[in-house]
Amino acid sequence: MTSTRSATLFALALLAPALLYILTIVAYPLVDTIILSFTNASLRPGYDFIGWANYERIFGAGNFTEVIIRTFVWTFFSVSLKMIIGMLGAVLLNAAIPGQALFRILTMPPWIVPMAIGIFMWGWMYNGQFGMISGLLQNFGITDGPIAWLAYGETAFWATIITDVWIGVPMVTIYFLAAMQSIPRDLHEAAWTDGAGRFYRFRRITVPLMVPAIITMSLLSLIATFNSFDIIWILTQGGPSGSTTTMIIDTYKTAMGSRRYGEGAARAVVISLFVTAFCIVYFRAVRKLQQGEAK
Amino acid sequence: MSQLSLKRLEKSFNEARIIKGIDLDVSEGEFVVFVGPSGCGKSTLLRMIAGLEDVSAGEIEIGGNIVNDLPPVQRGIAMVFQSYALYPHMSVYENIAFPLRVEKLPQAEVDNRVQAAAKVLQLESRLQHRPGQLSGGQRQRVAIGRAIVRQPKIFLFDEPLSNLDAALRSEMRIELMELHKRLGSTMIYVTHDQIEAMTMADKIVVLNAGEIAQIGSPLELYHKPDNLFVAGFIGSPKMNFINGRVRAANGTTVTVDLGKLGTIELPRSSTEVAGQDVTIGIRPEHLTLGSGEFIIETTPNIVEHLGIHTIGYATLPGGENFIGLFEGNPDLEDGKPMKVGFDIAQTHLFDARGLAVY
Repeated sequence: MTSTRSATLFALALLAPALLYILTIVAYPLVDTIILSFTNASLRPGYDFIGWANYERIFGAGNFTEVIIRTFVWTFFSVSLKMIIGMLGAVLLNAAIPGQALFRILTMPPWIVPMAIGIFMWGWMYNGQFGMISGLLQNFGITDGPIAWLAYGETAFWATIITDVWIGVPMVTIYFLAAMQSIPRDLHEAAWTDGAGRFYRFRRITVPLMVPAIITMSLLSLIATFNSFDIIWILTQGGPSGSTTTMIIDTYKTAMGSRRYGEGAARAVVISLFVTAFCIVYFRAVRKLQQGEAK
Repeated sequence: MSQLSLKRLEKSFNEARIIKGIDLDVSEGEFVVFVGPSGCGKSTLLRMIAGLEDVSAGEIEIGGNIVNDLPPVQRGIAMVFQSYALYPHMSVYENIAFPLRVEKLPQAEVDNRVQAAAKVLQLESRLQHRPGQLSGGQRQRVAIGRAIVRQPKIFLFDEPLSNLDAALRSEMRIELMELHKRLGSTMIYVTHDQIEAMTMADKIVVLNAGEIAQIGSPLELYHKPDNLFVAGFIGSPKMNFINGRVRAANGTTVTVDLGKLGTIELPRSSTEVAGQDVTIGIRPEHLTLGSGEFIIETTPNIVEHLGIHTIGYATLPGGENFIGLFEGNPDLEDGKPMKVGFDIAQTHLFDARGLAVY
């Protein structure tokens, strides 16, 4: 009895630093945000509990549903493009070509360059007056005049997606490349002796065997992309006229821009609910994949 | 007519020469085994025939056509891999059907061929399972099934039994031999296991360091090894080698001085060996206790009693290891001196270069 108890205490002592860390930086802010979301906290000193008023307000009036839909559309295109380009990149990097190592290194810069610097670079490239993209299009006679890509809702929406994809692709590529290389060489050789060409092998061997990696990466990317803040904020601050305002930008604007902390917290809680749902799906998928492997 | 012929075949990886000029003819329906120690190039040679490795020099001819530059599928071969190379995400049925799907054969034809192969290999009840749910032997059969459905001219097997346990291995060995009889196809089989080679082959190709050490039927290799390498490689336990020096070679008899063991006279016509350092070879199973035309006195330091056989291990005065294999359960003990004899007719002689002298 005593020995079990001391064993439990010892385990707790070992866990204490990690538990303390999680309580301080995860649990406390989360609980605090949830509490805040039921108040009318703002710049004024002190606040009152106002029940569900913040939630009624954000779902009742205004454009919150629109923001949610936009966030999903933005995330959908960004994640899909990252997966498709990442897969293509992995296929190319996996091919036995001279200079393979060099190409592998060359895929890394978007990931290695500090994010803000990369984003500013894209900001300049999108610029209408002296931006590279606009300039090239004019030089080749594709467009008549300068286009400020971040100045129009439609183009800004896609511009932010492209930058997000640019930053996210290297990790997806490397992850997919690793998964691809873990497929035994024998399988490809056996299929090749049976007459299966490259594309056939890719379709019937590589992709099916990469399904676990594709599912895992898609869900991880979904979680990260859904909360992607810096790219949009630096490029457009959610503009023009809200066309790139995703939930995380919207929350920031409400809480930090308009100083409506209580309402901002309510919006943050909604984001947390979505992300929690994604995480549950992710962990279930991982467990299922592991069980599948064990079979 | 030979169905497969290799002409001065060579393979180099950068500077390293792996296959050093192989000439070989394989007739239709033959079961040929490539055997040799690891690193001798036997798998590389098989992969070259399959079309998985480029040819550095020489020619590969299958059915009279040079196939050096043809992709595997156009060579009329099917290969069974050491790892089986089954597709884990496909059912047994789809694994076997894979080559036919690639060929885009109609479903009815695919079904016919897969069912026929499954019947031959007793896999009918397993067709809807995944490879992960099968035993090692069944996986092996699926891999063979995938080769059978292609109806190849030549089957290539790359150490197909090496992942199985000993009992299953001898079972599968017999299954493979039956399969060969039933299909009558040419089979080329790579193994490092000389027992597999001896039991299965019509013709054994012994490879050593990228070269053919000898080609012959199992019994030819056993009774008339061309060189020390083959003599030592074929047979278990391994042939005993005793070092000696030729004292005289008169054209009918070679007299070899074996040091403390005495002098032995072997009927050989060679006179070139006169004065050479030579090696005498005698198989452990050709030794008899107490009698024989030449007697060696030694003391076993380890004795193994296997019931059917008794094996004694000793060291000769010259430092050579010496093994005797005797039938039944004779009176043999560790540390107790024994007299073993053998007949001159069963003695092998190898010259200074290690080549057999007959």
